[in-house]
Amino acid sequence: MAIENEHVMADVIEVNEFPNLAQRYVIRGVPKTVINDTVEFIGNVPESQFMEHIQRASSPSETSS
Amino acid sequence: MGFLSADNQAEVKRLFEGLTGDVHLIYFTQRESPLFIPGHECETCKDTRTLLEEVAALSDKIKLEVHDFVAESQLAQEYAIDRIPALVITADSVKGRIRYFGLPSGYEFSVLLGSLLDASQGKSELSDASVETLGSVEKNLHIQVFVTPT
Repeated sequence: MAIENEHVMADVIEVNEFPNLAQRYVIRGVPKTVINDTVEFIGNVPESQFMEHIQRASSPSETSS
Repeated sequence: MGFLSADNQAEVKRLFEGLTGDVHLIYFTQRESPLFIPGHECETCKDTRTLLEEVAALSDKIKLEVHDFVAESQLAQEYAIDRIPALVITADSVKGRIRYFGLPSGYEFSVLLGSLLDASQGKSELSDASVETLGSVEKNLHIQVFVTPT
């Protein structure tokens, strides 16, 4: 997604190495995806579902923290 | 000590035959000091650098730059790097930003290789519909995927 759109910053984070982030984002299962600190989900979801989350996070009503 | 066996190296080299454009790996680490300062150690920084050096040695299209997170804090800020080990994957055709925090081991290593190939070829593995949807996104999206080594 970061290849296709200049507005996307995509991070992969090895959570064991950053316990403060594990705590902050309450990581109880992996892979856990957090978009703009407003939308989050656990697991390998199908691409169409991932895109629904992207659309939700990019809608004007969602404000990032 | 090396991470990649001769077999691994041969396999990665074969995969890298698919590289088309140059890919830059911008790696942020810290000075490797024998001094242990509690709270300031980076346990996987050295291993990550070794692994990246081994990967970069397998193709002249993979360009590795190693930077000091503290001494080059301005550069780190440009890439919004606030923790290490941190890797930024860039290529001419990458419009957004791809970053990797931590040592990419196990399954994550193959994810990293996949990202290098995609970045080099300038194309994602997304469907046309997803690419179209993404094209209409004008808001900054920060996608963080938390993983564990497997």
